[in-house]
Parts: sequence; C-alpha cells; structure tokens
Amino acid sequence: MISFNCRIQEGVIPDDLRPTLSSELARISAEALGGSAEDVEVEYEVIPHGFGFRGGEISTTSTVRGLLAEPLDQETRVGLLHQLCDMWCEVTGCSIHEVIVSVRDP
Amino acid sequence: MPSYQWIVPRDSVPFEKRQQVAVACTDIHCGSTGAPRSFVHVTFHEYDGESERSTPYFLDAGNRAGRPEEVKKKLMSDLLAAFTRITGVSPDAVSGRLSEGPGRWSMEAGMVLPEAGEEGPEWYTAEAAAD
Repeated sequence: MISFNCRIQEGVIPDDLRPTLSSELARISAEALGGSAEDVEVEYEVIPHGFGFRGGEISTTSTVRGLLAEPLDQETRVGLLHQLCDMWCEVTGCSIHEVIVSVRDP
Repeated sequence: MPSYQWIVPRDSVPFEKRQQVAVACTDIHCGSTGAPRSFVHVTFHEYDGESERSTPYFLDAGNRAGRPEEVKKKLMSDLLAAFTRITGVSPDAVSGRLSEGPGRWSMEAGMVLPEAGEEGPEWYTAEAAAD
C-alpha cells in the first residue's frame, strides 16, 4: 500500500484537522491503489517556527510524502497526486503553492 | 524539491544563522540550476546527544535526478562551504549526502515536476507566481 510522512510548519495547519487529513489521505489512496484504507499509515512531522524556509524566507509549505510498497504506473500516480493535492488544499485552506505532494516507488 | 535538511546539534545554530544558511542554499541552488527561488526548501532538524551520522553537522539533500555528476559535486561542495563560512563550524564537522528521485514522482504548485533539465518556460512562470 502506501505510507505518508506529512511535514508541516508549526502554526500553519491546525492540529484538529489532522484526523480529517489522515482519513482523506487513506480513503483517496485506497480508492486509487486498491486495498484497505486501514492499511494506510500517516505520520506528521512539525517543523518549529524559524526552522523551515522556502526561497530563503520563513516557509508555510506542507510536504506530503507518500512511499509506496510496490511500484506504480505513472498514469495512476498522476491521478493520485492531483487528488491528494486538491484534498489538502480544500481541507486546510492553503493555496496550491503551499503544498508539495510526492508518491514514490519503493 | 529541492529539499535541503540540515541536521544539527540542539541550540547550535541560532535563527539568524539558520536564515543566512537558508538564503545561501537558495542562492547556490538557483545559481547552479537556474531554478526559481521559491523552488528551494531548507529545513533544520536538531538532535540531542550523539550524532547518528559521520559528522555532528550533516546535510541531507534531495534533488531531482538527471544532473551531471560534476554539477552535483560542486553543488554539495558549495553548500557545505557556505554552511561552515556562516556558522563558523569546522569543515571537518560537516558532511552530507545527495539523494535523487524522478521529478515525475512529485507535484508542486499543482503540476507534476518535469525532470531536471527538461523544464519548459511555463514551469518557471507558474513557480514564480508562488513568490
């Protein structure tokens, strides 16, 4: 299946959104890849304020890194990337420029 | 992408130095690759106790694959040199590694990343909008 590491900047994503984000990451992944949403692992890593930079400035960008258990065809990957990215923006209210999503082969 | 994560002992690099290092990393990466500044992500991760790496200060770099070996070597060399210059840490105490992956595995600014060296003008235009 897939496991996610979500690297977020302190104070940018409210803690109470994490359950929704986790369940949506799992639901979307299970629909795209097959299998059970319960098998999708999600962990969060909070970058303290002043420890994350983008373009040399304080960052507000979240990085959602998915690691697959098996290689994935590119067409499915692109569809999954779009869905994950759209969901993240919708739930968090961040702009499309504030989220990076990857789905990596093992 | 690119992602530059500096792994450092706790409380060893103050905010002002972290910001200077972040700006230097951005300058060096953009000067080497032509990427827009908003493309470059720099984070600092502090640890307690003994380092699990070969040196106390370590750069864990992640880039898109496809650049020539000499470009990658100079990039890493310049990044490590900038860190030692800004922080005053001995060069012997700093090392790093560069991991690479296909651009097509990632999406940024709503677009699947092109492979290194295959960026069209539309990519830079969209990325610049993030600034």
